[in-house]
Amino acid sequence: MRTAVQGSATRGRRGFGRRHAAKLTAAVLAASVLTACGSGGPGEEKAGGTLKVWVYQDASTKVQREAVERFNKTSDVKAELVEVPGEGYQDKMRSAMGTPNAPDVFFNWGGGSISSFVEKDMLVDLTSEIQKDDKLKDAFLPSILNAGKVNDKIYGVPMRGMQPVVLFYNKDVFEKAGAQPPESWDDLLELVDTFKKEGVTPFALAGTDAWTELMWVEYLLDRTGGAEVFQRIQDGDSSAWGDPAVLKTAETIRDLVDRGAFGKNYASVNYTADGASTLFAKGKAAMHLMGSWEYSNQQANQKEFADKGLGWTTFPALPDGEGDPKNVVGNPTNFWSVNSKLKGAEREAALEFVKTAAEDWYAEALVDNGDVPTNSGSEDMLTGHPAPDYALFQYDLVRDAPNFTLSWDQALPAQQASPMLTNIQKLFNKQLSPEEFVDAMKALK
Amino acid sequence: MGRPGIAWAVPGVLFFVLFAVGPMVLVGYLSFTDWDGLGDFPSISGTGNWERLFNDPTMRQAIWLSVLLTGVSWLIQTPVALLLGVWSAGRQKNRAVLSAIFFLPLLASSVALALLWKSLLDPNFGLISDIGPWLGIEDGNLLGTGDGAFAAVAFVAAWQFIPFHTLLYQGGARQIPKSFYEAASIDGASTVRQFFSITLPQLRNTIITSSVLMVVGALTFFDTVLILTEGGPGTDTTIVPYLMYETGFQAYDMGYASAIATTLVIVATAISLLMVRVTGFSKMRSTREGM
Amino acid sequence: MKTAVRPEHRPSPAAERAEAPQKRNDRGLLGRLRRLRKWNMPAGVASVLWLVVVGLPLYVLVLTTLRDRDSYFDEGALSLPGDLTLDNYRTVLESDFLTYLLNTAVVTVATAAIVIVLSVGIGYTVVRTLSRTSQRIFQFFLLGLAIPAQAVIIPIYLLITEMRLYDSLLAIILPVSAFCLPVCVLILSSTMRDIEEEMYESMALEGASQTRVLFQLVVPLSRGGISTVGVYAALQAWNNFLFPLILTQSRESRVLTLGLYDYVGQFRVDIPALLAAVVLSIVPIFVVYLFARRQLINGLMGAGGR
Repeated sequence: MRTAVQGSATRGRRGFGRRHAAKLTAAVLAASVLTACGSGGPGEEKAGGTLKVWVYQDASTKVQREAVERFNKTSDVKAELVEVPGEGYQDKMRSAMGTPNAPDVFFNWGGGSISSFVEKDMLVDLTSEIQKDDKLKDAFLPSILNAGKVNDKIYGVPMRGMQPVVLFYNKDVFEKAGAQPPESWDDLLELVDTFKKEGVTPFALAGTDAWTELMWVEYLLDRTGGAEVFQRIQDGDSSAWGDPAVLKTAETIRDLVDRGAFGKNYASVNYTADGASTLFAKGKAAMHLMGSWEYSNQQANQKEFADKGLGWTTFPALPDGEGDPKNVVGNPTNFWSVNSKLKGAEREAALEFVKTAAEDWYAEALVDNGDVPTNSGSEDMLTGHPAPDYALFQYDLVRDAPNFTLSWDQALPAQQASPMLTNIQKLFNKQLSPEEFVDAMKALK
Repeated sequence: MGRPGIAWAVPGVLFFVLFAVGPMVLVGYLSFTDWDGLGDFPSISGTGNWERLFNDPTMRQAIWLSVLLTGVSWLIQTPVALLLGVWSAGRQKNRAVLSAIFFLPLLASSVALALLWKSLLDPNFGLISDIGPWLGIEDGNLLGTGDGAFAAVAFVAAWQFIPFHTLLYQGGARQIPKSFYEAASIDGASTVRQFFSITLPQLRNTIITSSVLMVVGALTFFDTVLILTEGGPGTDTTIVPYLMYETGFQAYDMGYASAIATTLVIVATAISLLMVRVTGFSKMRSTREGM
Repeated sequence: MKTAVRPEHRPSPAAERAEAPQKRNDRGLLGRLRRLRKWNMPAGVASVLWLVVVGLPLYVLVLTTLRDRDSYFDEGALSLPGDLTLDNYRTVLESDFLTYLLNTAVVTVATAAIVIVLSVGIGYTVVRTLSRTSQRIFQFFLLGLAIPAQAVIIPIYLLITEMRLYDSLLAIILPVSAFCLPVCVLILSSTMRDIEEEMYESMALEGASQTRVLFQLVVPLSRGGISTVGVYAALQAWNNFLFPLILTQSRESRVLTLGLYDYVGQFRVDIPALLAAVVLSIVPIFVVYLFARRQLINGLMGAGGR
């Protein structure tokens, strides 16, 4: 590019025609503007009717790739998979939804991640579509389908594995310390001391990514006060942040931090670049509270550890806690939603496409990929899972859970979610005392 | 003799009005709406965003952090760039070679540099885990503490921009007539003295230019914060431009974000006015009369 | 280190430079001795210190890109890796890097071209028209000198969406060009003011039209300013991050800076590959630096250089 620009400047030297230089500049300008319009310009999708299908890009994307391929073999309206790199998927999807380039079918987390679209009538209500189709109606675990609802209506079809938050532990580190995975809160506190003596960080925590800290808050509040407390908040009652259970939760967090449960430099550790996971796999940390995807993550990056050293268990109950210890938090799954701007044949095709997620081959493909599908009958398939023990553990965990609380940052609208994460980070970094934390949360509008 | 008409400027003016002035007006309008980024063109909903702006502790902190960052940047960058600039103005070979290395950070985009520093500051695997203890940073926990993260942002800014300001000072120093120094040498003035009595006063205008550009730069300093700290820990590195981005494109509170943005535009316009006044750009008749 | 640098202020780098023309020929023993005498310790120490501050991160950067992932996690950042590998560079080049580079090139050239054409027009008017309006136009642009494009990203997002340009390269090119104009108009009009009145007069005697005056006199004689303006605009486009972040989305219209940012999510643990992408993103500018140092630096400095 430099040569072009400078070319017009240097060639203008006396002798060589100046006119020439001017023409050259004009030509470069015209050409570059034309190419700019040509490449990446919008509005090409009109011809033939193509569905833009947006998905979060990660190791599980290949199942959606296959779904698109299969779908395109029979359908006249073709689907085109747009893989969006993970960093900031939510933000990009949200920015694009306000524009003419909005996706036609897109991956989301249900709940608050789509509530503002529902408000603006931008999504197709799938409730009747699912009710009238017997096969579809019973295809998914009810708790999962419920978790994605907005205003009691279904806007999403489950399309990925379940992602409960699980307490992982490093078997080698436990063996060396002669320790057992925690069954009660007291066990857990004792383990903190044990591992500190061993010079191992008890819990890996990626403090630069506040959503990893959120997982602790979610479980602790659920165990302390039950799932109802957050349900009230999710339903729009921000005074529920004043529930004593929230304060108790904040105090428990502060206690863990003060005990050194997360080591000293957790506030600088990241998850997106696998800082916390690597510490954990390398035995520098003993436990890691993380979404169930941590398993495939470790499989991809620290295979030997994932095969031999990775253990998992449930989050223990708290003494005097009111919550059911069988409750789970995390992402029930991810959903396909359909943009209501689609009309006629395109809308039909989009509905056909999202229904493929209920088919058996789809569930099997998820299993092959190491995910645990949310389809009601998929228990039998799990013997074919690369790690059947782990898959069954998850499946039972979710099936038996009276309540599956959706991650707060997805459950709440973006306006509240982003300051909420900031407050949680401040609590962990001791920039807010438990009392100040409660006040800050109550102030979220 | 014929002179060109205004017509030559029309395309440029129209373009500027459409893509720069228009948005500046529009941002003011949007600050009175509750737009959430979706749906139709938003309509006015009142002064709520402005009332919130004046009572928002996060905004107050963001302003303070922006001012502090500008101040700290000035204090770090000006002396280093001034000394390096004067030093590199010398034509010795070793200086030329070292200067070429010193200017390298200029060639990278803010994004590239922020990614580099983020990996260098990783407490477990980055450079800081090796040299942190020598610098008094135990555990490499820099980005996790409020002061540490702020210092990291200021340091990365300095690392990135000192070469730029060094270039300014190099240019300035090379324009000082050598006769000044000869006269001083004859009077037996020491080198330190010459620096303070000749170099520094002669570089007055360069110092002003460099300082103004630092202030302007601080208004746009966003990429590094987004990648390096995401405004954290907590809100300890949430400077005004980042707060605007976070409010607008993560919380989708575009109305409030527009109020923050409008404040930025107002401050920037004031700085422009000041710049024009201080540097005399508008009166300047030719390059040679410049600074 | 700041204070340490200070005493280096050897009397007169500028003086030496000013003598340079005459001194060129005493490069012999005498000259070397003179220079040796002028060498002073504090300046040397300080510059070496600064060399460490600048050089060490760059050294670690390059070294890391030559490691494999395990070596990055297991060995310290400073230790020499056992096996050097170029695989990281291959990973990056196979991850659409060239597409991003091409997009960035298009954005850069188009922005530079638009800015040059528009600001030459404005500059010509400002300098040559005597009317008050042209002075107003000039002052109008000057007011925009310090206004950062970032501050108006929200209305730009609205505007670009309404114009149906979201997710196209034009979405980046148009606003970035507009916000380059104030600085570029300033640079060009001061260059154009250096053209002497007599030259216009002699053109006028030949009966030249305004268009001819512009292309045969003004443009050639403001080459320096035009190249500065072009490089300045090109750099603004090349380095821009916020606009692509907000205004584009798809792989087809992703530019280099956004591509780098997205590699964080894509490569995840693969820090060596990420840093290889960082190195590759610097290479094009580095090449320009080697071949057109003067122009690049002028462009970098923008209005500051004047």
